Amino acid sequence: MSGEILGIVLRRIAVAIPLMLLVSILVFVVLRLIPADPVAMSVPPNATNEDIEALRREMGLHLPIMHQYAIWLGHILQGDLGKSIAFGQPVFTLIGQSLPATIELAVFGALFATAIGLPGGILLFRLRGRPSEQVVDVGSTLMMSIPEFLWALFLILVFGVAFNLLPFAGRLPPDMTISKVTGFLLLDCLLTGNLTAFLEAIRHMLLPALALALGTVPLIMRLLRSSLLDVIGEDYVTMARLRGVPERRVINRHALRNALLPTLSLMGVQFGFLFGGTLLVEVIYSYPGLGNLMVEAVRNTDLPIIQGAALVFALAVLTINLVVDVVYIVVNPKLRRAR
Amino acid sequence: MSPVSAVGTASVASEHPLRRALRSGRVAVGGSILLVLLFCAVAAPLIAPYDPNEQDLLNALKGPFWTDTAAPGFLLGTDNLGRDTLSRLIYGTRVALFVAVCAAVGTMLFGTALALLAGYFGGVVDWLISRAVDLWMSFPPVVLSLILIVGFGVGIGNVILAIILVDWTRFCRVVRSEVLVIRRQNYVDAARLSGFSHLRTMLREVLPAAAPLIITLMSLEMGIAVIVEAILSFVGMSVEASIPAWGVMIADARNYMYQSAWGLILPILAIVTTVLAFNLLGDGLRRTFDARLQQH
Repeated sequence: MSGEILGIVLRRIAVAIPLMLLVSILVFVVLRLIPADPVAMSVPPNATNEDIEALRREMGLHLPIMHQYAIWLGHILQGDLGKSIAFGQPVFTLIGQSLPATIELAVFGALFATAIGLPGGILLFRLRGRPSEQVVDVGSTLMMSIPEFLWALFLILVFGVAFNLLPFAGRLPPDMTISKVTGFLLLDCLLTGNLTAFLEAIRHMLLPALALALGTVPLIMRLLRSSLLDVIGEDYVTMARLRGVPERRVINRHALRNALLPTLSLMGVQFGFLFGGTLLVEVIYSYPGLGNLMVEAVRNTDLPIIQGAALVFALAVLTINLVVDVVYIVVNPKLRRAR
Repeated sequence: MSPVSAVGTASVASEHPLRRALRSGRVAVGGSILLVLLFCAVAAPLIAPYDPNEQDLLNALKGPFWTDTAAPGFLLGTDNLGRDTLSRLIYGTRVALFVAVCAAVGTMLFGTALALLAGYFGGVVDWLISRAVDLWMSFPPVVLSLILIVGFGVGIGNVILAIILVDWTRFCRVVRSEVLVIRRQNYVDAARLSGFSHLRTMLREVLPAAAPLIITLMSLEMGIAVIVEAILSFVGMSVEASIPAWGVMIADARNYMYQSAWGLILPILAIVTTVLAFNLLGDGLRRTFDARLQQH
């Protein structure tokens, strides 16, 4: 069985590779449209026309665009994403420093979203046909109208400014440093046995992760409710009811197990979006991750970073989708039996 | 649904769908909010008490009238430059609604056209368009809109273009699967057999059947466009600095939230109310059109 799963994974990766190539073409072409001249931005104001022309040749900008792309792609495949214009450091290093923070944040956000969304979906389903359904329904529509970046600001206002309960800037208090082992802060805290820092890091993560989660929760709730509506009419549910199984057990044991599968596969797409949501949430919480790096680069028109970050975001989404697909195959008993 | 309302649903099923939609509470509430917002946008110069860019530095960071820090003449307070919050909110509806309507129409036209082609012709056309959708879906929407706006440059037209180029997939995916179903209906075959051209069959037979779905999606897309514009404004990549937009107000007020939290809360409320109105409208329309939901 594991051999078959491996085969499916390999096939999915084979599909993802040309997709990733197309992604890189798209990123490259779109950013070449830029109205600002990358050469003019990187020369001193007293540069002569000859200087500019020389730099243009050095940067390869006199070549046809497909040729430029080929050079760029060749560099990327060797792990060279270019040098940041603003920081002067290799983009690969900058992304490597900030990506772990974003991954930690996104994982926590996804966990929160699942922990709140699934019970919420069951609640929404249980209330069907009751007067209170309307209230919860309008409530979930209201929640759907609040994107994660507004949640982020709202949570700061409530828990940070008004009640001063939780920190909302960075990943640790300013006077606290932690020696770097893996780059994943929470892991490093545990590895170095620094429990105080670990708890502080969690405290700093609560609000941004919650903001990310709240943007996804109503979607998960609705997905699960509509999956439950689909399975509740099935014969095995009716049979369970006829046998006198209590309603709570009918939902939890019989309907939920089958409704979770389609919900799971659609949640994968949502987690891809959630990963993109880190962008604004990181900016708002001064959280030193990939999103913050990218928005900073957008403000500085730091093209190498923008390109690199966009590629990493796309790679992350493709990876999340791949993982969700594999999990789906592994847990789906129908597909298991087919083999 | 209770038996009584099930009978009610059956009796209104023959009613014109538009009239049925208007009877839904969601459509009525969402539509009313949007009418008020539309009025604010159109009549902004008449109803706004001040020019949105007029500064009164002596009256900076004042609170709304119900707070201690209120200043007479500024109903909802002022920002850090002493600009009137109410006037800026009213003028902000212009950018929000303009982007919402243009982006939704553009997204609808582009996404639906591709969906029709893909679903109707199938085969290679479908394969190509579906792969393009896959490609687009590999980007988080925010990331894609950011790189597009970096590529195009700022400005309201480019914001609209960026939203269209990001969100067409939303229409394309959903409408395509609808077209696949409609395509197999007998009346579509009948139209072809009676000599209709492909184009005419698509526009006269397939498109009307998908219209309810398209209208619903458009309403939801307008809400999404408002959010995307606010996000781009927030990071300073949307409209020019002289044009008041809610996202810009949020970005400005964020730096002064300890002195005046209301400057931050009010534009957030404006965005949420607008998006909620579009979502209520879309949700209400979906419920009126979707037979499956009515049965439950």
